[in-house]
Amino acid sequence: MYNSLSTRRSFIKKMAKLSAMTAAASMFPGILFASEQEQGIPNGADLEWKKGPCRFCGVGCGILVGTENGKAVAVKGDPNSAVNKGLLCVKGYHQTMCIQSKDRLTHALVKKNGKYVQTPIQEALDIVANKMKETIDAHGKDSVAMYTSGQSTIPEGYVASKFMKGAIGTNNLDCNARLCMASAVTGFLTTFGADEPMGCYEDIDHADYFITWGNNMAEMHPVLFSRMLEQKSKRGAKIIDFATRTSRSSTASDRSILFEPQTDLAVANAICYEIINNGWVNNSFVEKHCNFSKGLTNIGYGVEDKFKFADKPEKIDFSAYKAFLKEYSPEKVAKYSGVSVKDIKYLASIYGDPNKKVVSYWCMGMNQHTRGTWMNNLVYNIHLLTGKISQPGNGPFSLTGQPSACGTAREVGTFTHKLPKGVVTNPKNRELAAKIWKVPVERIPSKPTYHATEMFRAVDRGDIKFIWTQVTNPLVSLPKTSRYRPGMEKKSCFVVVSDVFPTPTSDVADVILPASWHIEKSGLYGNSERRTQHWDKMVEGPGETTPDAWMTIQVAKRMGYGDLFPYSEENHVEEIYNEYRQFHEGAKHGMAPLEVLKKESGAIWPYVNGKSTQWRFNAKYDPACSNGEAFDFYGKPDGRAVIWQRPYEPPAESPDSEYPYWLNTGRVIEHWHTGSMTRRIPVLHKAMPSAYIEFHPDDAKALAIRNGEQIKVTSRRGSCVLPASINERGLPTKGQVFVPFFDENMLINDVTLDAFCPISKEPDYKKCAVKIEKV
Amino acid sequence: MKKRLGIISLFVMLFIAFITIWNFSYEKGMEEGYVPVLEESPNNSYIPAERGVFERSEFALEYSSMPVDKNHERSLDSYYDNRAYHGAPPSIPHPIKEEKSLGGNTCLQCHQNGGFVERLNAYAPVSPHPEMVNCRQCHVAQNSNTLFKPANLAQVHAPKVGVNNAMIGTPPMIPHQIQMRENCLACHAGPAAPKEIRVTHPERVNCRQCHLPTDRIVSEITPFTRTNSHKNE
Amino acid sequence: MPIKSYLAHPHDGQKAELVKALSDIEACEVMPATNENILVVVTDTLDDASEEILKEQIDKIQSLKLLALVSGFNSPQN
Repeated sequence: MYNSLSTRRSFIKKMAKLSAMTAAASMFPGILFASEQEQGIPNGADLEWKKGPCRFCGVGCGILVGTENGKAVAVKGDPNSAVNKGLLCVKGYHQTMCIQSKDRLTHALVKKNGKYVQTPIQEALDIVANKMKETIDAHGKDSVAMYTSGQSTIPEGYVASKFMKGAIGTNNLDCNARLCMASAVTGFLTTFGADEPMGCYEDIDHADYFITWGNNMAEMHPVLFSRMLEQKSKRGAKIIDFATRTSRSSTASDRSILFEPQTDLAVANAICYEIINNGWVNNSFVEKHCNFSKGLTNIGYGVEDKFKFADKPEKIDFSAYKAFLKEYSPEKVAKYSGVSVKDIKYLASIYGDPNKKVVSYWCMGMNQHTRGTWMNNLVYNIHLLTGKISQPGNGPFSLTGQPSACGTAREVGTFTHKLPKGVVTNPKNRELAAKIWKVPVERIPSKPTYHATEMFRAVDRGDIKFIWTQVTNPLVSLPKTSRYRPGMEKKSCFVVVSDVFPTPTSDVADVILPASWHIEKSGLYGNSERRTQHWDKMVEGPGETTPDAWMTIQVAKRMGYGDLFPYSEENHVEEIYNEYRQFHEGAKHGMAPLEVLKKESGAIWPYVNGKSTQWRFNAKYDPACSNGEAFDFYGKPDGRAVIWQRPYEPPAESPDSEYPYWLNTGRVIEHWHTGSMTRRIPVLHKAMPSAYIEFHPDDAKALAIRNGEQIKVTSRRGSCVLPASINERGLPTKGQVFVPFFDENMLINDVTLDAFCPISKEPDYKKCAVKIEKV
Repeated sequence: MKKRLGIISLFVMLFIAFITIWNFSYEKGMEEGYVPVLEESPNNSYIPAERGVFERSEFALEYSSMPVDKNHERSLDSYYDNRAYHGAPPSIPHPIKEEKSLGGNTCLQCHQNGGFVERLNAYAPVSPHPEMVNCRQCHVAQNSNTLFKPANLAQVHAPKVGVNNAMIGTPPMIPHQIQMRENCLACHAGPAAPKEIRVTHPERVNCRQCHLPTDRIVSEITPFTRTNSHKNE
Repeated sequence: MPIKSYLAHPHDGQKAELVKALSDIEACEVMPATNENILVVVTDTLDDASEEILKEQIDKIQSLKLLALVSGFNSPQN
């Protein structure tokens, strides 16, 4: 009886709710209720919904996954998530469709006599552990390496770091976030002394202007772009697109300004020149909160093996900085940047107007840049000079491309120079790590070894004899794969690849380990706005698929480090996170406790006294500020941010008579990174089945190229054949071609150049010289 | 005499200067407005253009406050009644105001911004390509209901509504070609949109963030295959 | 056992406060509209007396501008 009564009550309640909603709808046509969306799922009424972050980009949208009979059958946006408020993009909505792909790696494969043999996972892990141990015994600790990912979960990154740096005692650990976020990190560290953006996505609701620097947000960060479009139509906020290619974002923006590759350095300086020249400097802010510095110039491009560089910062004063800027008057910069004097002054006037709130957004355009660190510094200069920073609606905001580039790669620190807190070169940071890891401090080496590009060079040279890659596909995503593919194929290096699907990287592996996908395991990700998000395992993985963290732990145990990894198989995610949290205790980086993350759709660190800190360095919002002023850039010992004097320098390679075109690479909305997941989602593949090469119509005309024709693009490194695309998805500037890199059947990274920013060691995928031929 | 000659030559100079400047600025103006169109072969061209996606006419209705007028709604049936097959240019189902005009100014008076037309007791559908002004190149009037000779036209079935989702509850994919109809909201938003395909959220405007075309132009898209993979299969 | 549904209008800019205040009351179920300044509130109480008390409690909330009753049901007690 009780049962039927309670169903009756819930029915009446539903009726009551429905009548109220109908009444509301008659007053406000088009009104939406979050829980109405949540319940408004047709048929499949028995679905069980679980929350988590999206698997793909760094925006970190909240998703709800509907499961039925142990299978994921539906995905929708989490209406309670402050990031996306119920909206997703096409990749997000269909993400779980890739799990059931027919060529899913379900069992371990071990190469025997040139053929892959299905092997029980325990046996495969034995082989990996034995091989790793043998290699260390024969060639030393620095002959083994691990290459992980900004898509690794926080626990996965944490055990990888503990395993390599704490257990084995080598810094041969780097990750693919080196290819996308390293310049942002060094930019933050040099200017503010503390990594990651100071603001949050809520800035979108307050800003008057959005200026995007080399950033096609409509395709790459679509959910954030939607929030910007909403503010545009609601409040008349303006979007200014500053780029080298006319993209979907340009057509949706209020103003599109094009510049010549690499000249963003000069334009940013010209904006600062204008701000100072017109008296728009926020003098009291600069006096109280800023220092001026300069570094070395002519710093090279890292194209040669074993390239070394260390910057030598030197303090200067405001007048020296002003004198330096004389070279960057709008008139002088307009001559080589392709940006008119009027447009430079227009940009400067937006930043300079004290009554306008401005947010700058950027991602790969500025980071994948041979002067990426400088470029990040220069945009901070603009915001610091005008004091438009760390306030709702005002600030520079560096976006990320991977779901946990911030949470794992940057915060856990899966880079060669990093520890979960601080860097290996700092004895205090090593001591803390040794204490929490319970290892002797001498075991953690104090010198960084290989960054990503150099790691694969070392594989090619034969210096690294064992490499284990997890959650990444370097033989599609590295620059100049024409060198690194044959390098990894060499017998001198034993290659272990953990992945979900076969990729060009697993093609060269000696052992392939079958990994669990996203929702087949529990985990935590951290997005661009410092939001940590937890999810619980939702479905069982097929065959012998295993979470990456657990495979690392298993290998560590087999190598005799069991006492350092006392975690249980069912609960290792929680146990690891609780251990990791100790590293960040305090008001500057406190992480939310697991109970909170399980309940809420993410929390932003610093998480202090049960509250997320939305704007760092601003005393009004950030309890870590302690200098009694309105702002405290506490990352630096004196609480002052640095305005850097950084000049324009040419790129590593520019078009010449033999290779007359710029090559720019990037992404499209349908596919995510190397496409190993999205290409196995039928709707996405159907919409974008292969890569292509974009031309400016004038160039196409001059070369007599028509849409769809096969074109061979060649550089000094290699070549690639793709169909031409004219006036379709995007329009590169004249003299430039653009190719998306998702297609493993058309490897454009065979063509790109492995030059990198000497400070961040992040490669530049946006600029190299190529020639074009019809096939 | 000299003075007069001077004045005349001054005016001649001014006139020439005017002509050159006017020509120059005219050329400049043409340059900016000119989007080069190359002769295109449709082969392999699977990426729809981005032309006009975000464009709005000056006096168009706000997406966030589009009226819903149940008494004057169109249905998908009446929408297709007006077309020979789905994707064909619709014919003109009403008397034409200016028989001599090629379309532009006349048609666009109503079909650019949309709005209610008292005389026809209906909302004017909005054109997704208002920049193509020779309307009657493709759109012709229906002046007779009889046929010259009966024909056995094959019936092409238009895509159905409500069956284009890849998963439960996900945004539907685009089941039709979008060439010259890249501006989705022209047909999918507002009081003139057929009620079955009117979106609930026109204010989002970046449609292809969630909805992608999956209809092929020439050849079928084969499932993803790894052509470079030489080893582990 | 009365069940009633209301439309609640918050004072300008105080929607979040109102949602929080109402959610703290156990007998209230709140459903805020995502795109308009209005909330649906469903109350579920044991008897008329507790219903009265609840009503008074809700009326005291500072951020509430207007509460409009939409529908009410009462099932016999057993």
